[in-house]
Amino acid sequence: MKAIVSVENLVSQFVLNFWTPVFVGIFLAIVCYALRPRNKAPFDAAAKMPLRED
Amino acid sequence: MTNVSAGAKSMTIGEATLWPLFAVLAFLCLIGAGFAHDAPFAFHASLGCAASIAAAFAILNRYYDRPAKPPPQEINGRPNYNLGPIKFASVAAMFWGIAGFAVGLIIASQLAWPALNLDLPWTSFGRLRPLHTSAVIFAFGGNVLIATSFYVVQKTCRTRLAGDLAPWFVVLGYNFFILIAGTGYLLGVTQSKEYAEPEWYADLWLTIVWVTYLLVFLATLVKRKEPHIFVANWFYLAFIVTIAVLHLGNNPALPVSVFGSKSYIAWGGVQDAMFQWWYGHNAVGFFLTAGFLAIMYYFIPKRAERPIYSYRLSIIHFWALIFLYIWAGPHHLHYTALPDWAQTLGMTFSIMLWMPSWGGMINGLMTLSGAWDKLRTDPVLRMLVVSVAFYGMSTFEGPIMAIKVVNSLSHYTDWTIGHVHSGALGWVGFVSFGALYCLVPWAWNRNGLYSLKLVNWHFWIATLGIVLYISAMWVSGILQGLMWRAYTSLGFLEYSFIETVEAMHPFYIIRAAGGALFLIGALIMAFNLWMTVKAGEAEEARAAGRLQPAE
Repeated sequence: MKAIVSVENLVSQFVLNFWTPVFVGIFLAIVCYALRPRNKAPFDAAAKMPLRED
Repeated sequence: MTNVSAGAKSMTIGEATLWPLFAVLAFLCLIGAGFAHDAPFAFHASLGCAASIAAAFAILNRYYDRPAKPPPQEINGRPNYNLGPIKFASVAAMFWGIAGFAVGLIIASQLAWPALNLDLPWTSFGRLRPLHTSAVIFAFGGNVLIATSFYVVQKTCRTRLAGDLAPWFVVLGYNFFILIAGTGYLLGVTQSKEYAEPEWYADLWLTIVWVTYLLVFLATLVKRKEPHIFVANWFYLAFIVTIAVLHLGNNPALPVSVFGSKSYIAWGGVQDAMFQWWYGHNAVGFFLTAGFLAIMYYFIPKRAERPIYSYRLSIIHFWALIFLYIWAGPHHLHYTALPDWAQTLGMTFSIMLWMPSWGGMINGLMTLSGAWDKLRTDPVLRMLVVSVAFYGMSTFEGPIMAIKVVNSLSHYTDWTIGHVHSGALGWVGFVSFGALYCLVPWAWNRNGLYSLKLVNWHFWIATLGIVLYISAMWVSGILQGLMWRAYTSLGFLEYSFIETVEAMHPFYIIRAAGGALFLIGALIMAFNLWMTVKAGEAEEARAAGRLQPAE
């Protein structure tokens, strides 16, 4: 049986086909950015930011 | 921003536009008061008129009193931090906190002894309850968030707060919104949406204030002297942006008349319920969580004198929270007309929220690595750390209650109230107290608090209060849920509703006692902070003096 095309179906198809993988991709990219060995030194410096006195 | 030529004094663009705007607003409010359809609207329009006149005069007075040049951005190479609005918001937080806790105690007592409703409309539970929730969440919590965000963004960006009048507009405008909202509840003005009760005109005013808050915060970030934006500022920014989106999303109402307080929401039925709890749960997620996590990420390292345990974890914590929280709202609507898939979606995302919540908690607690001994000697740090432990506890309990089968027992019972208060009193309350205990000596340039001993008293009295509160509500909530679903062998309900109410009476008294202890703790705190501003660390110095060995 052919699926009924409705606004809801189109929206859910769009969300499933597009936004879910895009969001997952963005999140994985953020995790890679956070765990990248190169970024360790600047992050360690940033962790001390509250302790700096001017 | 300024058009000041050397020597000659002239108005800034802000001053020149704001005072006439307030004068026009005063006139419009006066017309509103004159043509008002209901008494509360006339009262609020009169308040608006008085406040607008006061604002216009204050701006003009400030202009005549101030030096020709605007305050310097730096003095001797150090940023000239703007502390005035922070001090005001700190005092306002303490004031609203005590007011909100006191009203909480009153309504808790009303539940135990209904005669305390006094048979008056203004003092009935239905009107005082939103007064309590708004006073503690938006007035106390909101002022703490404004004060700390303005402090943290300046310190971690090493720059003066952006804007001249704008930060004052945010602080004073926000507190005026609280005044309109609070007096409105007492007078029966409400749009009956939980945590979004204020009517259309208060909502419009808050929109203007909140957009200004966002602009002040963003402009300060833009002119930062530090290349890196510290993680606490990300949390503050998420809090400000999301609250703006939630506020606009949940309040598109059409007033019956521009001269009346009543309005109707654009949509009804289950759509309205879904929007309401998308708003309601994300008010928890972004007002009561993201904003206060920003406090955790600045004040705990600062007080413990240790770097953040893992900055990497803080980045993942932030983004995981942002990606997940916004979907959890439907768990407030289990077994309702909301489509089943939406309920399951809300439940699933609530369970996934365990990960960022506990990641953040671990990051906050482990920041004490190498400084655990300070918990013995520093009650302020203890308060901050215990708040994070309560955060872990309530974010463990929340996802369990979001599971549909658990929710079928817990929903509409006191278990929910107990859960909310372990988060509100334990997490938000304690982290706010800890932040204020740090912030007041810093903002007023004191070496320390008036008395750490009093902080210790506050800590233990309030902790005892929380334990009484939440344990009473767990017992009464589960009792209530079980009594509601109990059947006899013949299939009849075993208990009438009034029997369940009667069974809860002792727990209501214990809960009120817990609330009273929490209020006493806050009163001790207010005295301590007042003396810190007035006398500095006098009591501490005296105590140290007594301990000095005789020569």
